[in-house]
Amino acid sequence: MPLIELHDLSKTYNTAAVPVQAVKNVSLQIEKQEFTAIVGPSGSGKTTLLNLIGGLDKPTGGSIFVEGKDIATLKANDLIDFRLHHIGFVFQAYNLIPVFTAKENVEFIMLLQGVSRAKREQRALELLESVGLGDKVNSFPPQLSGGQQQRVAVARALASRPSFVLADEPTANLDSHTAGALLDMMAQLNREYGMTFIFSTHDPRVIKRARRVVTLEDGAVKSDVRQNEGKRET
Amino acid sequence: MILSLAWKNIWRNKKRSLIIIVATALGLWGSLLSGAIWMGWGESMVDTAINRDLAHIQIHKPGYAQNKEIINYIPDGFRILEETKNLPGVKAVSGRTLVEGMAASPTSTFGVKIVGIVPAQAKTVTDIYKRLIEGEYFTGSGGRNPVVIGRKLADRLGLKLHSKIVLSFQDLDGSLNYAAGKIVGIYKTESGLFDQSNVFMRQADLFRLLNTKPLIHEIAIRAESARIMPQVYAAVKANYPQLAVHTWKELAPEVAYTSTAMEAFTYIFIGIILFALLFGITNTMLMAVIERFRELGVLIAVGMKKGRIFSMILLETILLSITGGVAGIVIGGLSIAYFAHTGIDLSLLASSLETFGVSTTLRPFLPLDMYIALPIMIVITASLSAILPAWKVVHIQPSEAIRMY
Ligand SMILES: Nc1ncnc2c1ncn2[C@@H]1O[C@H](COP(=O)(O)OP(=O)(O)OP(=O)(O)O)[C@@H](O)[C@H]1O
Ligand SMILES: [Mg+2]
Repeated sequence: MPLIELHDLSKTYNTAAVPVQAVKNVSLQIEKQEFTAIVGPSGSGKTTLLNLIGGLDKPTGGSIFVEGKDIATLKANDLIDFRLHHIGFVFQAYNLIPVFTAKENVEFIMLLQGVSRAKREQRALELLESVGLGDKVNSFPPQLSGGQQQRVAVARALASRPSFVLADEPTANLDSHTAGALLDMMAQLNREYGMTFIFSTHDPRVIKRARRVVTLEDGAVKSDVRQNEGKRET
Repeated sequence: MILSLAWKNIWRNKKRSLIIIVATALGLWGSLLSGAIWMGWGESMVDTAINRDLAHIQIHKPGYAQNKEIINYIPDGFRILEETKNLPGVKAVSGRTLVEGMAASPTSTFGVKIVGIVPAQAKTVTDIYKRLIEGEYFTGSGGRNPVVIGRKLADRLGLKLHSKIVLSFQDLDGSLNYAAGKIVGIYKTESGLFDQSNVFMRQADLFRLLNTKPLIHEIAIRAESARIMPQVYAAVKANYPQLAVHTWKELAPEVAYTSTAMEAFTYIFIGIILFALLFGITNTMLMAVIERFRELGVLIAVGMKKGRIFSMILLETILLSITGGVAGIVIGGLSIAYFAHTGIDLSLLASSLETFGVSTTLRPFLPLDMYIALPIMIVITASLSAILPAWKVVHIQPSEAIRMY
């Protein structure tokens, strides 16, 4: 069973004067442990697609199965719970609670899951260590660089032991060197822990690091290619 | 962790939070202090009335209140006086012989109540003896028929200390008696009305003038404390079902009412202040959540349920309000304690206050239950203030909120 299965997925926004079909008849399967980039020009529907997969938006057509479950049918609070336990999120910005330290930010999601204090602390420290921020656990987000903040966000996304991590333009606010480093780190987590990542990006240097690239154009899948099979990018 | 988050969130915009905290603190401080002054006023009215004349409990013959005739004395009064004196919880008792009559000077006359007392006994129940401004309270031999009158009556009759005063009253047979007394003391209480109508004599002198056996119309009982009064009252009432037993509250309902009304006023005043604060707190919290719209959107996106996010905003609002509230209660409590210690001197207003029967030194006070009720009221206010901001947060669409950049 694929991790994620999209059947004929569509999303039309009726908010504007003219309805906008942001996602058009997308059918896609994503397997466990894949490292997939969703690319395409601005307005091509990347964010809309990720929001649909992440249960942040309801489709207007088609279906989304995550681990065999049709998430479009879940009630609001069940959907939030589903996100809490199955999906890790990294957004472009505003990921972190500024009054919490890096460690507390990572812990918070586990608190929502009801994990005990001791386990929370231990896991938060481990995760921050593995994203290379072992020395910044007690720093507050405003004291961290953009790249470091996104690393904390990745650690936070992993903390809930999700089935996969969704990252919408995680590198958009970073310079390309830092962006590359963040992607390398994500790729490493993918290899070492088998964590599935789905991320969107504009950045060619980031695209290079993906192993599967799904290209959107006007809301439809234009191409879906696999690259870097078995080799390691530097 | 949620608690610490709520607390830290309050301090993200220090200035804005401080403004509302200071407003809450000042609002409560002001309303507590003025409430305490009102209640101190009410209490002072009660205390002075009790100390002047009411005592805690009084016993009469039934019907005396309607028909204050000399014949309506308490049957077997002296035995009852002795018995009540020994009841548990009773601090002191005083038997009073009451005669309605006229006081006359060479220039004018005035209707008065002649109160026959045993001075040593009366002193244990009321404090008229402390209120003498001239002369003394039946201490010296004083000659025949020493009389203590109020300042107001002395003024009305144009009499001075050591002047002769002529009292007229009906005796038991209904025949009119005249007696000359000598003013040995002039007292002044907070109540002009009391001062102009109460004339004190020794019981023994009164009995001689009335040409009667000893009799009393009123037994005034002082309980060991106001708190124990209800038990004493119940005991006395049970012991003497044939007599009319009343507490001061029944004897002077207007005084009791004023005292309760002061408490009600205080609650209403605090209620109004809190109602005004409600809008300020709502506004502050609305600004706070609008500023954090994206961050809150992210929290909902990553899995914070509606109930949780609602409680987080509620908690934040309660913490914000209770911080100001506690500050207000503390400064309020301290300033009340300070003024209760020093007293607030109202002597500038004294002459107009006399009409109300209030002592000129006011000691503000606030009952303990108010210190308990207040935090509850603040939490209720905060919860009401939180509804709108929390409702907004619960309805955040995470996909929209995150897209806002
Ligand atoms: N809430 C909305 N209401 C109306 N139209 C919307 C809404 N959100 C997105 N759209 C439209 O849907 C289309 C796809 O938008 P989307 O944000 O998914 O693109 P994108 O690929 O993420 O673009 P970018 O690279 O700029 O982030 C665009 O035409 C956009 O204007
Ligand atoms: Mg986008």
